[in-house]
Amino acid sequence: MSNLEADRIKEDLKATVTELSDTYEELSLLYRLSEEFTGLGVDGICRLLLQKAVSLLGIKTGAILFLDSDSGRLYTRAYTGRWKADTSFKKEDSILWRAILSNKAITVCNHNTHRERLERISCDSLLIIPLNGKKQTIGVFLVADKADGREFYSGDMKLLTTIASQAALFIENALLTQEMQTFLIETIRSFVKALEASSLWTAGHTERVTRYALSIAELLRLDAHEIEKLRISSLLHDIGKIATPKEILNKNGKLDDSEWSEIRRHPIVGAEILSGLSSFREVIECIRYHHEHFDGTGIHGLCGGDIPLMARILAVADAFDAMTSDRPYRKKKSIEETIDEILDCAGRQFDPVVVRACIEWLKSPDYIVPPEPEARA
Amino acid sequence: MPKVMVIDDEPFILMMIEDKLRRGGLDVVTLRESKNAVEVIRREKPDLIILDWMMPEISGINICKTIKTDPDLSRIPVFMLTAKGQEDDEKLGISCGVDRYITKPFSPRILLELVLEQLGSR
Repeated sequence: MSNLEADRIKEDLKATVTELSDTYEELSLLYRLSEEFTGLGVDGICRLLLQKAVSLLGIKTGAILFLDSDSGRLYTRAYTGRWKADTSFKKEDSILWRAILSNKAITVCNHNTHRERLERISCDSLLIIPLNGKKQTIGVFLVADKADGREFYSGDMKLLTTIASQAALFIENALLTQEMQTFLIETIRSFVKALEASSLWTAGHTERVTRYALSIAELLRLDAHEIEKLRISSLLHDIGKIATPKEILNKNGKLDDSEWSEIRRHPIVGAEILSGLSSFREVIECIRYHHEHFDGTGIHGLCGGDIPLMARILAVADAFDAMTSDRPYRKKKSIEETIDEILDCAGRQFDPVVVRACIEWLKSPDYIVPPEPEARA
Repeated sequence: MPKVMVIDDEPFILMMIEDKLRRGGLDVVTLRESKNAVEVIRREKPDLIILDWMMPEISGINICKTIKTDPDLSRIPVFMLTAKGQEDDEKLGISCGVDRYITKPFSPRILLELVLEQLGSR
């Protein structure tokens, strides 16, 4: 073997190792990326995908467009850089649609003067990557103009395509989860409406309590997962009243002792009704204990931190709505009177930390006075 | 030029790390067999050592223990490269004196950054 040949083989080997090294880099990126995507919601995945494009390729602009199957339009779901939030495209024979249908990335150089240029988008080089899930088309991922002014290489295209196809699968799953979650909440809402329809006095109570509880929970910095559990708990908190005789619920006057004790059973009955739902464990506990007293004088005698936090929040939200609503046997209180009474009960009936958050919320600009109930005939 | 010693029984990993570190301006010594690793370390006196955990003959963790208990060598930083991703493994590694624990598959780019950062902090 001549020296020249030996040198060439050495060079080839070096180039091969470098290429393998890049492939290994990509592999390790994907390996870590799937861990990062896990557990994120749709918006979190979109944000991460954009971040990766910025950090890996140094792009100046990026956007993720989702296909709305009803209108057939691609609308902006997330973006970074020079992009208008309301940018959307018709489903036509545009390059976007071609990328989706062929499931292949498309690069466009000199986009501004290109015959297929996209309206409303001004950039030099553009890379369009389809986002296809296993069963459905999600949309497209657009990146434009690298900070160094260079065009997109085939390596960039390959890298982003790999990341995007993985992201698309995660988005598809997250969308399905979201759809199921919405379906669950809407179903619960319908049941609650049916329940409230049979009572003259509690119309809208559940929705208001839910709104109050979530506002307090946000101030207490509960995480997204806990907020969702609290939403379901609040919507279902009075479900046990389905077993309370209508004459008691609708009685036009003060309740006697036996009627009160009948009403007081509703947290236990509610928890009992839901007991078959194993994934609702925390929701059930919250409902069971939402009338416990912080000082331990409630139905079950739980005290302080032994009462689940969600139940402590729900207790304050529930009482707030009850006090600010008319009842057959008493008129509603003003906000100031309600604040005084809730403060008075802090440490006895209610958790003082939750009370503080409730007062903070009532005094914040986020608080909106609930509408006056309609005059009753 | 700082010298980094890489010990791994997988030839591709060895070549790849060598390529990446050289391009990052470092001197690199590689070793595919762990049998005489400690002797070679004594002779080469590297500024940093990258070790694979699972190797036939002597495991990376045992080499690390030897280095860290030898007064002449103990100041050399050791990076442990391994497919063992469990938290307990990492704890064991750290308790044996590993300066940085990196799980496979790793990013060669980040490995280079970490090596330069470690060398720069001396």
